[in-house]
Amino acid sequence: MILTLAIRSLRNRKFTAALSVLSIALAVLLLLGVERMRQESRASFAATISGTDLVVGARSSPLHLLLAAVFHIGNATNNLRWESYRAIAARPGVAWTIPLSLGDSHRGFRVLGTTADYFAHFRYARVRPLVLAQGRAFEHARDAVLGAEVARALKYQLADAIVIAHGAGDVSFMLHEQHPFTVSGILAPTGTPVDRAVHIPLQGLDAMHEDAGALADPLAAIINADRDTEAGEAFVPREITAFLIGLTSRAGALSMQRTVNEYRGEPLTAVLPGIALQELWELTGAVETTLFAVSVLVVVVGLAGMLVALLTGLSERRREMAVLRSLGARPAQVFALILGEAGCLTALGLALGVALLYAGLFAAQPWIESRLGLFIALSAPSAYELGLLLLVGVAGLLIGLIPAWRCYRYSLADGMTIRI
Amino acid sequence: MAEPVVEVTDLRFAWSQAAAQVIDIESLRIVSGERIFLRGASGSGKSTLLSLLAGVVTPQAGKVRMLGQDLGALAGAARDRFRADHIGYIFQMFNLIAYLSVVENVCLPCGFSARRRSRAMRDGASVEAEAVRLLGHLDMAQGDVLRRPVTALSVGQQQRVAAARALIGAPELVIADEPTSSLDADRRAAFLDLLFRECAREHATLIFVSHDAALAPRFDREIAIADINRAPLAL
Repeated sequence: MILTLAIRSLRNRKFTAALSVLSIALAVLLLLGVERMRQESRASFAATISGTDLVVGARSSPLHLLLAAVFHIGNATNNLRWESYRAIAARPGVAWTIPLSLGDSHRGFRVLGTTADYFAHFRYARVRPLVLAQGRAFEHARDAVLGAEVARALKYQLADAIVIAHGAGDVSFMLHEQHPFTVSGILAPTGTPVDRAVHIPLQGLDAMHEDAGALADPLAAIINADRDTEAGEAFVPREITAFLIGLTSRAGALSMQRTVNEYRGEPLTAVLPGIALQELWELTGAVETTLFAVSVLVVVVGLAGMLVALLTGLSERRREMAVLRSLGARPAQVFALILGEAGCLTALGLALGVALLYAGLFAAQPWIESRLGLFIALSAPSAYELGLLLLVGVAGLLIGLIPAWRCYRYSLADGMTIRI
Repeated sequence: MAEPVVEVTDLRFAWSQAAAQVIDIESLRIVSGERIFLRGASGSGKSTLLSLLAGVVTPQAGKVRMLGQDLGALAGAARDRFRADHIGYIFQMFNLIAYLSVVENVCLPCGFSARRRSRAMRDGASVEAEAVRLLGHLDMAQGDVLRRPVTALSVGQQQRVAAARALIGAPELVIADEPTSSLDADRRAAFLDLLFRECAREHATLIFVSHDAALAPRFDREIAIADINRAPLAL
């Protein structure tokens, strides 16, 4: 009865009610959106590296190394020697290793020199292996395997020829034009930076760089001519940027880290990905807290808007309250009517906000994935998010108490007198 | 016939402790079926008296007995239920809830009172049918009047809807607070005719409040508030 009245009353004031609902909905959208981006970005980063126990590179900041080697953010400062890589890879407890060589790019996408081990051992989202959507992995030194996003964005197909540019920039003036690669395979989407990488064999990468050197030094070109042949030969690169280690037992990660850090051949850094990411989240934490505080304030503003809308309507409604009282409505029912209106507005705002969030995520998903390399899953609200929603709902009702209480006082004080 | 509907004894009321007394009535007695013309200028305490009779406010001293029930003996919520069950109330103007339809407005008291709901359904098949029947008696069921938003009705039509709402579920007492003051003379007479007829049909006692003495001869009895209220006139 009272709830029906509340709903009818709101429908009669569609415009102000809709504005209140919209302001609450946008506030909820912002609150949940910030929270969702925070969680999804963390989850996405964690998923990318989840199958790897250690990342090893030349001595540098662990976070820097991790970001450069795995997430293709920034550049590694130094390389490490191939011999060092082999020495550590041969240690007991090492299940697999993946060498990574970075520094080149193809039309804005990073080029990653690696070996067939990459496709055999790299795991994302803890257990999922890389899957080729089309074609095959490396067979020849000039094969290239494209991440899903690279193929999609540049509209590449199998057997297309691509030219690698030196350096990581979008535009490079130094192209390795004499040494084109052929697209041999295209990976299925993973929602990780893998999608945005061009993978080529280490042999091909080195040969390409040596070809570039050969222009200046014809003799070297002749000496190295026989290198540019089949992949899988006993070809030995000189340096790589970093490598990933998978251990037979994760429990050995700490001691392996110590072993690598104390390696005598050259100064190396081994990174436990989880710990380095934790370091990253501590860095970004202040920004996230600020964003969260801002979105909480926006929720407060949205609810204040509703309060204003309810309070301004109130003096006009004293007459309505007197009529309801004359019909036998108890002051408590008058109170419930106004509170019910606040409750309805808040509930509608919450529902619309959640709907907008999912619509927005759905619409922005491809864009976020291609531009930021983040895969945002359209998952159900987490317990934390439901808790936030509940808090907003309770706050809406608490704010509704203010006009409801005023109305209650009016209806007690006015009696049957209609004050205009 | 002599069954009392309203019995007021030694009633005193002020809106607050500090405020002056606005009601001081030694005795007021109204019996079942009477049509009472309660005459009072504004400031005579008539709205306050009606609030006391309806049990919306409680007196500092004295008693209001309604249908034999001492309103002062009831708790707030019980007084509200008593009002919903037994009293139909018509205001001077703006009686209707703007966001409800004509029929929904008439049916409202049945939402607050199970007694009036069951009494309304005794005659008609449903509360809505009873509302339409009453509106028909008040010449309000023809054409598209029922479908119009209440804010689109003329003042006279609004007052007739209010009368139907006061009468639905056959309450024992109908209190009308200057319901005709915003109507012209012809409309006023017609409204009174309808109100009398329907009150008689529903066996309701009518307390009609107005400052317009010209209407008084049509009633069974005229009570001037100034005569019974010993509290000084507010200015």
